[in-house]
Amino acid sequence: MNTFLQFDSLAMVSILAYMALWLIAVVAAPKRDLDRGGFTSALTILGGTVLAYASASIWGFIAGWVITQIPTLRKNSNLRPIPKFTLFTSAIALTVGAVLTGTGNDSLAWLAYSSFVVAALLRKGMFPAHFWVVSAFETGSLFELGLLMNSHLGAYLMVRFAVPLLPANALEALPLAGVLTLFTSVYAAVRALAEGKPRRVLALLCVSQASFILAGLENRNVEGITGALVQLWVVAFATTGLLGVYSALEVRSGEVESPRGFLGYGSVTPRLAVFFAACGLALVGLPGTLGFASEDLLFHGALETHPFLGIALPLATALNAITVLRLFATLFLGRRAAQCPQVPDARPRERWALAAPVVFLVAGGIFPGVFFALRSPAAERLVELLSGAL
Amino acid sequence: MNEQVLTAVVTAPGLAFIFLALGWMLGWTPAERTIVRITAFVSLVMVGGAAWMGYLMLATGQAQFYTSFGDWFRVGEYEFTFELFADHLSLPLVGLTSALVGIVGSFSARYMHKERGFFRFFMLLLLFAFGADLAFTAGSFDLLIGGWELVGLTSVLLIAFFNERREPVRNALRVFATYRLADIGLLLAVFAMHYLAGSSEEGHLFLGNWPAQHVSMSPFAATVVGLLLLWGAAGKSAQFPFSGWLPRAMEGPTPSSAIFYGAISVHLGAYLLLRAEPVFIASPIAAGCVVLVGALTAFLATLTNRVVSDAKTTLSYAAMSQLGIIFVEIGLGFPTLALVHLVGHAVVRTLQFLRAPSMLHDYRRVHAAAGGDVGRTGEHYEGVIPSGVRLWLYRFSLERGFYDSIADTLVVNPILKLSSALASLEPDRGPEHAARKPEPLGRPMVQEVES
Repeated sequence: MNTFLQFDSLAMVSILAYMALWLIAVVAAPKRDLDRGGFTSALTILGGTVLAYASASIWGFIAGWVITQIPTLRKNSNLRPIPKFTLFTSAIALTVGAVLTGTGNDSLAWLAYSSFVVAALLRKGMFPAHFWVVSAFETGSLFELGLLMNSHLGAYLMVRFAVPLLPANALEALPLAGVLTLFTSVYAAVRALAEGKPRRVLALLCVSQASFILAGLENRNVEGITGALVQLWVVAFATTGLLGVYSALEVRSGEVESPRGFLGYGSVTPRLAVFFAACGLALVGLPGTLGFASEDLLFHGALETHPFLGIALPLATALNAITVLRLFATLFLGRRAAQCPQVPDARPRERWALAAPVVFLVAGGIFPGVFFALRSPAAERLVELLSGAL
Repeated sequence: MNEQVLTAVVTAPGLAFIFLALGWMLGWTPAERTIVRITAFVSLVMVGGAAWMGYLMLATGQAQFYTSFGDWFRVGEYEFTFELFADHLSLPLVGLTSALVGIVGSFSARYMHKERGFFRFFMLLLLFAFGADLAFTAGSFDLLIGGWELVGLTSVLLIAFFNERREPVRNALRVFATYRLADIGLLLAVFAMHYLAGSSEEGHLFLGNWPAQHVSMSPFAATVVGLLLLWGAAGKSAQFPFSGWLPRAMEGPTPSSAIFYGAISVHLGAYLLLRAEPVFIASPIAAGCVVLVGALTAFLATLTNRVVSDAKTTLSYAAMSQLGIIFVEIGLGFPTLALVHLVGHAVVRTLQFLRAPSMLHDYRRVHAAAGGDVGRTGEHYEGVIPSGVRLWLYRFSLERGFYDSIADTLVVNPILKLSSALASLEPDRGPEHAARKPEPLGRPMVQEVES
């Protein structure tokens, strides 16, 4: 790690996937979110994420991490103090971890690794820090938050730096982090069942499904880690589609923010409904999508090392599937009130942009081997490091 | 050649679905006649292929047809092989599905004519056919889950077909929630197969040809796997304690009720148990539970069947009752009898469902022609029961076995209360953002009767 940047397969694949995701989000975003400040924020998050992915040193990664969080500090970001504070704390924890690792003192290695884990858990909104995501989704720009969350820098921190730098500590501490993430997956899934506001529901869905990524890393075998890294893409592309559709509906009518009963948009926006259903069901592992294959791999990765994942995953996924369908029904099924103004279906720009994640997820469901092959080298390297630490 | 035939039978509806879906995404909405012709062609391919395989099976004594697409994906030591096979168990069901897709497609061409969701209905019918064929011919239980879930999803979307009304949507949500809770059992069963037996592939788990197969599992492993499979199968086949969803599913169009709840979808649970029959032979405890669940469901369903007033709901309870008997046959170790019963029941019930709308019309005509009284039927066996017990049973049946209220009390309400309680513990919610009660997952069926 003598150079500042490295472009190995993990970095290159991650950068290309994120750039594609960024492009989809920008093209699909409503003009409301793409004012000058919004576009600058998107560029800032893109720059920070690419820097973090490509960085060969932990300091470069920290720089990227912090840059991605700058847009949340904007005055008109509409975020409450808790999300800002949590993200700030995650950056502090990450920096502490890096400083302690740099000392080379073995007695501080535990503390360093713990700091990395805390940073990752805070950033990804794992229990009990999940509420910052819910709060941020409720008031902030979904466009910017989607880009921020879907960089998944918390998971990348573990794969790129925390485990390779401190494999012995990782070996001992991963089960603890795994239990916490599994608990988060079920907790957030249960929480979402009684939520009425779509923005909060979407936040809890993102947190619950994204928690499988960290849980999968804990498997310590190629299958589980590859499944986790592909699950990262599933969550990223599916939630980008979901947030895109929801934002499109929100700018068409304010009633979706706090729906009372079934809104019935499916009759006037059938294509948006299909995009939403496809992305939502892919997120919860519908057969024929990449989500099904990645969850199957996660499931089998857990057989050897973490059978509890094999129980938590179906339970959380089942509850999340109910939530997805309930949200779909709330937004798109039912009868439109006669006095409601007509709203247009997906515009050509939205149609092309939102079709992209659907095509990605379905193509991944038909040819999952291609996507697993892109991720398994990084997983194999991680397993080697952990095996060496035994 | 035979491999291609099996592949064509399974993939034809899936390819047709993808073709129509892509066209629609690009802005093409085909005319009714085009959709019907495509469905008819797909059905012909499926029926022709199934008939050809059946002929070869009878003529040559071949036990099964098998095709492998190799590894769908391989990571580390895990490989997901994509294998399809049709044997004495799956081929009759593939043939049945193929024929019923054609019949229901033909019936629906008229029944659904000019309906707003005509295109959607046929799309879901094709996706369902693909899912059902995939489940029946899956070479492993991992792959079976794929078909299983597609069938469940299309079923739910068809229940919510008339989504302008609130009740179909709410009932669809309730059915979906029940399906998902039951599917956890199947997922855990597959997990247990890998964990306890090292694989979920049919060829690896079971030795020999159906129905004379045996399994190399310990009794403990067989019991665990068997009970989890029963959990999943009970959900799909509306058996106790998951029976409450089937009457709710009658909200969908009649042709979909026929093929889903009279024929294929509702029998998928029984198929799962038949496919895993060796597991139940190896575990008397699991087999006993299958008998118990089936008998209890048959009894409760036949009671309720006697007090419901509308034709489709009556048929749904009748189907539930017969499925209970099929479960009993499976649990007692009569797989061939159960298969014959299953196929016969599916055919008869489909006919009854498709006939229900016109039958009501005919009944009114006959009733009028007979001067307003065609005579009452029934009350043969009921007379044997003491009147006090009869009254109690009548009350019990009117409440439809208290399924919904028990499920609400023990499962739905506690989870929603827990969810609300957890929400109230979180900071940063703000007074205006208190958790609101979400749309309920369907209201008790009894209220609908009362209203």
